[in-house]
Amino acid sequence: MVLAAWRDGLGRLLSAPAIVAGVFVVTLIAALPLTMTLRGAMQAHLGSSLMADEAADAVNYDWWQEFTAQSPGLGSTFTPSIIGFATTLDSVSGLLDTRVLITPIAWAVGVYLAAWVFLWGGILDRYARGRRVGPYGFFAASGTFFFRFLRLGIVAGVVYWFLFVRVHGWLFTKWYVNATRDLSVEPRVFMWRLLMYLVFAGLLALVSTVFDYAKVRAVMEDRRSMVGSLVAALRFMIRHPGRVVALYAANGVIFLLVLAAWATVAPGAGGTGMSLWIGVAATQCYVLARLIVRLLFAASATALFQRSLAHTGYAAAPAVARADAPIVDMMSPTGGSARGPL
Amino acid sequence: MLVLAIVTTWACGGTAAASQLHDQPSAAGRSPRNASYDIDVRLDHARRTLTGRERIRWRNISARPTSELQFHLYWNAWRNADSTWLRERRLGGNTTTPRADAWGSTNVTSIHVRRGGLPAPPHDDLTSLVHFIAPDDGNAADRTVMAVPLPSPVAPEETIEIDVEWTATIPRPFARTGYIGDYYFFGQWFPKVGVLEDAGWNTHQFHSGTEFFSDYGVYDVRITVPRGFVVGASGKAIDVGDGADGATVHHYRGEDIHDFAWTTSPRFVERTRMFEHPTLPRVQMRLLLQPEHAGQEARHFAATAAALRYYGEWYGPYPYDAVTIVDPAFQSASGGMEYPTLFTAGTRWLAPTDVATPEAVTIHEAGHQFWYGVVGSNEFEHAWMDEGINEFSEARADEVALAPNFLVRRYFGGFIPWVFRDIRVSRQMNEGLANYRIDAEADAQATASFRYWPSTGASITYYKTALWLHTLEKTLGWPTLQKAMAAYFERWKFRHPAPADFFQAVSDGAGRDMTPFFDQVYRGSNAFDYGVQELITSGIGTGRFRTTVVVRRYGEAVFPIDIVTTFEDGSRKTERWDGVDRRRIYVYEGASRARAAQVDPERLLMLDVNYTNNSRTLQPRAATAATKWSLTWMGWLQDVLLTYVSLV
Repeated sequence: MVLAAWRDGLGRLLSAPAIVAGVFVVTLIAALPLTMTLRGAMQAHLGSSLMADEAADAVNYDWWQEFTAQSPGLGSTFTPSIIGFATTLDSVSGLLDTRVLITPIAWAVGVYLAAWVFLWGGILDRYARGRRVGPYGFFAASGTFFFRFLRLGIVAGVVYWFLFVRVHGWLFTKWYVNATRDLSVEPRVFMWRLLMYLVFAGLLALVSTVFDYAKVRAVMEDRRSMVGSLVAALRFMIRHPGRVVALYAANGVIFLLVLAAWATVAPGAGGTGMSLWIGVAATQCYVLARLIVRLLFAASATALFQRSLAHTGYAAAPAVARADAPIVDMMSPTGGSARGPL
Repeated sequence: MLVLAIVTTWACGGTAAASQLHDQPSAAGRSPRNASYDIDVRLDHARRTLTGRERIRWRNISARPTSELQFHLYWNAWRNADSTWLRERRLGGNTTTPRADAWGSTNVTSIHVRRGGLPAPPHDDLTSLVHFIAPDDGNAADRTVMAVPLPSPVAPEETIEIDVEWTATIPRPFARTGYIGDYYFFGQWFPKVGVLEDAGWNTHQFHSGTEFFSDYGVYDVRITVPRGFVVGASGKAIDVGDGADGATVHHYRGEDIHDFAWTTSPRFVERTRMFEHPTLPRVQMRLLLQPEHAGQEARHFAATAAALRYYGEWYGPYPYDAVTIVDPAFQSASGGMEYPTLFTAGTRWLAPTDVATPEAVTIHEAGHQFWYGVVGSNEFEHAWMDEGINEFSEARADEVALAPNFLVRRYFGGFIPWVFRDIRVSRQMNEGLANYRIDAEADAQATASFRYWPSTGASITYYKTALWLHTLEKTLGWPTLQKAMAAYFERWKFRHPAPADFFQAVSDGAGRDMTPFFDQVYRGSNAFDYGVQELITSGIGTGRFRTTVVVRRYGEAVFPIDIVTTFEDGSRKTERWDGVDRRRIYVYEGASRARAAQVDPERLLMLDVNYTNNSRTLQPRAATAATKWSLTWMGWLQDVLLTYVSLV
């Protein structure tokens, strides 16, 4: 069942490449404004300096440190962690250690998450139906579920606030500190830290899975109550814990494989010209792979839910198609609309 | 050659003199040996206490009699929350309140003074006369300096014996001293007599940002610890015997040292290796290693040997025949600290080989054996004389001894290292240019170090000194500076130099008075920043071009510099500017357009806080560099976005 659901989910993902392309473009667009801002600041700082030569051809760490010292705000994020696989270590570590994002980055994350809240309705509708729905159908579903998922997002915000502020505090500020304050052997302290990470990451995984299934149920069953969707999602997970965990683990393995591949091929600082663009292309391939994995989580969850309830390809709400203008109907050979759902 | 011309523009006189009239070596030793200690101390592991008694043979080597003794009781810095140390720590941004079991203290239970070799009368216990003074800030809650009135003055060159008994509560780690689990490190742990100078007692309170100062002597110490505990200490082990209650007594002796530290733990793994060199004396290196760092034994020895070699070749030989390297326990907060003939290094369980951990800290602390241990400068008042000179020396040794040396960052609570092989750690990175740049104007270096603003003091003490010494190295040349520093080392070993003594040594070595340089870098708090304000080139007729270069002094500090303008035909024009005016304009006419102009192209002035503005080119590549780095940064931002989207 789990393997079949996973393969089914993968099939649904691959049959809708426009979704992958779309979220990739969204990810690019979300990052571009701040990237352009930083580029402007860097160019202004370098001005006509000869320091730009080394900065272009390799790493000019002297200039780098001068720039960050003189560029508060966005410039403070220009650290060595932007190079290669350190990006991933930094972002995952930052999440698990609850590093506070500076305001511009927090805004970018907020806008990006809002975009996903909008897109999830269309994405899950498409995966649930397992067939093409067309742009109009996609965005109609996105619009239909946007405010519902916004409400769900508010609930998620409260839950995540509780996790990141309260639970993280208990785990890392209270229990971890109490457990390790008298330990003088680093590997032992690290094991405690690892345990706390596993517990915290496990809770994050659990909560994100609940919200994933809540979205799936909301879309498939055209639910309007997001609390009802959450309860239904929990009910499903409680009734099928083995399947849910196994599917999550399967996707988790894929995620780790992507990270391993990225750790192997992640480009260094590089230079300009072709090496720069090869590096950018490699990074964007990694971004694409991460997005595919994220979508795979959702598509396979949809497939698992449908298979568990023998509802493959079922969605309660009718597919939405654009109503053509009357003149189009009149011009058709049959004199009326013969088009099925997109 | 250019630099020599610049430096010769400065001229003025200077003098140097010892702060203690009778600070010459004793007949038996290399130092005056005027503050020698025989100590018996017992560690109560269960109660986390020390009980000790000491006999101090103290000789007044100043020019004046004294009717009072002053002692440091450093551990009283953690006796209450209003101590000067804790107040200053809060000012520095650390507002954490120590836990109830973290406090430490020293209580002197008896003091007797013997004169002329006669036993002290029992009723002459001076304990009741003890009072605490706060010479630096008048803080009545601070009990780190104890004053004891004497029945009669001690004349210059007179020797007295002081018997002191005390008990101490061992703190959880503060300032590299205390315990965690069964690991103990003991620094500044015994009642220690202050330094009597010709001008009076120099006994500062314990400050959060500065270290220590004391006279040289012979330390003969018996340390009683539970059986099975390994001990490392200043000096050399003399013998080990059984004590009462199944304890073990370790006997150590150190000669011509000005402090004594020790450590004990049952977990230490002990290793020894001999430092050997064609021209330097042999030194036995003893390493006390944490078991989880067993694979890093060779790295510790190699780094220590590098320090003994390079410092020995540059300044003078290490004068003792042993050194102990302590690998501190994790979370003990005792890493990276120097004591005579013993120092703590510091490493991590995951320590990539092409990163300078533990090497850099090991070289630094081993280097302090020279700049602190042998040359006993006053760390309260002139911390730059040990920390700054040593920072410079360490960065220089790192450059030759550690290669490759890449930048590392740690993630996941600091446990997981990642090495950036695109970024080699340069000498100016080791010299802390990035930190100094931010804090350049925080304090004048001539201010007493303990008065520096706590959170920026390190930039002035360590980094500014390292950078101005590097500037001196580039302007005078290393052979000249090295000889000057070696002469200073030789002149002031086992004594207490003042800043003027170092300046005098440099002036002597340079063959000219360097006072104007030290006026800028030592007596002032101004920042150095020179730059090219304008570079314009335009045609003025057939095949002729006029180039205008405007250079500017953006900072307040002054330093003579070069300006080099290069032209498209490969020709160059070099100008020498005294750097005093706000700006200087140079106009050239010739057959070629200018390509670029640079201020200080050889980067002699390592203290320039903005080197990006030091050059201008008419073929700028800022857009290319900015595109490259902003796109690289975009990958990081996208990773952050993707990490968060996994939650929704």
